[in-house]
Amino acid sequence: MNNPTIRNWLGFSTLALMLASLFMVFDYVPPDAEMGIAQLIFYFHVPLAWVAFASFGLVAIAGIFYLWLGDQLWDDLGYAAAETGMVFCTLMIVAGSIWAKPIWGTWWTWDSRLTMTFILWLMYGGYLMLRASADDTPQVARFGAVIGIVAAMDVPIVIVSVRLWRTIHPAVLVTKQGTHGLEDPRMVWTLLVSLTAFTLLWAWLLMLRFTQLRTRSRMAWLAGRIALATAAASDPK
Amino acid sequence: MSGFAAVLRKDLRLELRSGESTLALLALSMLVLVVLVFALGAARVRSVDAAAGALWVAMVFAGMLGANRALLAERDNGAIRGLLLSPLDPSTLYAAKLCAAFIFMAVAEVGAVVLMVLFFNLDFDASMARLAPILVLGAIGFSALATLLSAITGRTRGGDMLLPILAVPIFVPALIAGVKASAAALSGAPFESMGDWLKIMIAFDVLFVTAGYLLFEHVVGGD
Amino acid sequence: MSAPVVEIRNLEKTYGLAFVLREVQLRMLAGAGAFIIGGNGAGKSTLLRILAGLEAPSGGHALVFGQDTRRLVARYRRRIGLMAHQSFLYPNLTARENLEFYAELYSLADPRDCAHQWLGRVGLAEVADTRVRAFSRGMEQRLSAARAMLAEPELLLLDEPFASLDHDGAEIVAALIRGAIERGACVLATTHGIPEIDGVEVAVFEISRGRLMQHVHKEEVRRGGRIRSLLGR
Repeated sequence: MNNPTIRNWLGFSTLALMLASLFMVFDYVPPDAEMGIAQLIFYFHVPLAWVAFASFGLVAIAGIFYLWLGDQLWDDLGYAAAETGMVFCTLMIVAGSIWAKPIWGTWWTWDSRLTMTFILWLMYGGYLMLRASADDTPQVARFGAVIGIVAAMDVPIVIVSVRLWRTIHPAVLVTKQGTHGLEDPRMVWTLLVSLTAFTLLWAWLLMLRFTQLRTRSRMAWLAGRIALATAAASDPK
Repeated sequence: MSGFAAVLRKDLRLELRSGESTLALLALSMLVLVVLVFALGAARVRSVDAAAGALWVAMVFAGMLGANRALLAERDNGAIRGLLLSPLDPSTLYAAKLCAAFIFMAVAEVGAVVLMVLFFNLDFDASMARLAPILVLGAIGFSALATLLSAITGRTRGGDMLLPILAVPIFVPALIAGVKASAAALSGAPFESMGDWLKIMIAFDVLFVTAGYLLFEHVVGGD
Repeated sequence: MSAPVVEIRNLEKTYGLAFVLREVQLRMLAGAGAFIIGGNGAGKSTLLRILAGLEAPSGGHALVFGQDTRRLVARYRRRIGLMAHQSFLYPNLTARENLEFYAELYSLADPRDCAHQWLGRVGLAEVADTRVRAFSRGMEQRLSAARAMLAEPELLLLDEPFASLDHDGAEIVAALIRGAIERGACVLATTHGIPEIDGVEVAVFEISRGRLMQHVHKEEVRRGGRIRSLLGR
């Protein structure tokens, strides 16, 4: 996990694929006939969405393992996934807003996907605020695990309810286009490359942060052992 | 099971004795409704949607206060440790706290409904009967969620602020469904039309009561 | 030799960079009484909480009735009583209601009768229907002792049971401890001064720099053999 070789490899391949993706989006793929240049953000928005949700899932899975096995490693992984995911989720909201302005003329819309993203963002925020406002004890790590699990369980219900909510009010706004209607194979390729690029970026950032947290945990544990050893060494005999 | 009954009875007795929680909940619900009436303006006040929305806002606020109270009693003199030490299962404790929180919230809901009918110029008629099950479902879901979360937020710095931040996003689906179903009920629609919303609320309730029951032991106790 | 009620091996408790307990070894059989002395923050309360299953050790093992204290099921929790610095009592309930509640929690046969008896034993019969919030610290302490002992636990853990008690109160609690040891319970208590409990033999330990050391004082030497066997050594 901490292998610097893997990290570097990830880093470089991320860079390569990101550059490829940028080229493809801006130079290779034809813009959508209806929506014009602004539609291109779709190739960033979809991967961002995938990563934001996947990261959240990882927080929950790490939480389950932490509650089950008790190893600090799982908590570090969950926390790293939450921080990383928050970054991508924020980017996704910003991207969604930038896209909304030329298409619909407003900075924000309550369409089902943006709303879902916003709620996900709030959940991430809640988790991070909880961790920030308390010390790093095993009990707090358990709190984080429970919150992660509970929120992740909620996500499917939120998706269903928000979608239902929006379809009742079609007059408000038109929902964003899905992945249907990708007629041009160049569009498909661009999307795939973009997906891979963002996934690698996520993995790379996650690994960086995870390594940091692991090191911090290990140092804390070592400090405890040193304190014990020092005391033992100076015991009167 | 004697433990469940003992804890629930104890909580209800404590509440009847001091009464401050229930009064505070009722007062809060009323004040929230008052604020909303003024904020929305006279024209809106006749709208069923606004009434339903205001009712749920009041309920969510009251529910958060109520859930906090259910676990607050255990912080005096470290009573929670006495409970954890006893043969009582943490899951059973959760069930008892959930019931207590639900009862508090239900009482507050009744008050809020009465006030809503008065403030929003509605009628005490058959729509009340249609409204009742929706509010019950909402109260169950919110109590289940808030009881679990307040065990967490009660023990972290800034805990009181943290409860709404954690609870509201998670509660969104039940909130959407509840408001929509309530508005439908108040405007006289039959149950069939609210089928989807009710299904969402039931799914939410089942999910969170189960989650709370299973996860409560990890959240309570410890250092 | 019967199975030990308490068995602690190489127990460690650390909080971040600071340690509270280290290299703790202890073995106690049924009917053994032990007192732990030590200054504030020495770790006495922590040790009791670990044995009660309220805290987890950072290293080593703490076993009660042969079970790991981190995973005590209801069956074993029933046999442990803890009297801590906090009373675990509800200020807005009366003394009687508090004891009845705990009696129900421990599934005792006749909670009303049990509460009534214990109120008498700790000298609180007259104030049975007064709310605990009106009690003095000494009265609350006595009620807390009743709460800890009403299920007749086989392992009794008492954290400074004599604190805030006047002479009469201290006698009551001492009598209760003596009674518990006589009926075969294992009692582990912490205290500031060396205790005087007539009629029973108790071992005395001290926690110094995180380690549990056995004190030897004059009485000990004379009764050495019996104490050793009670402590399972």
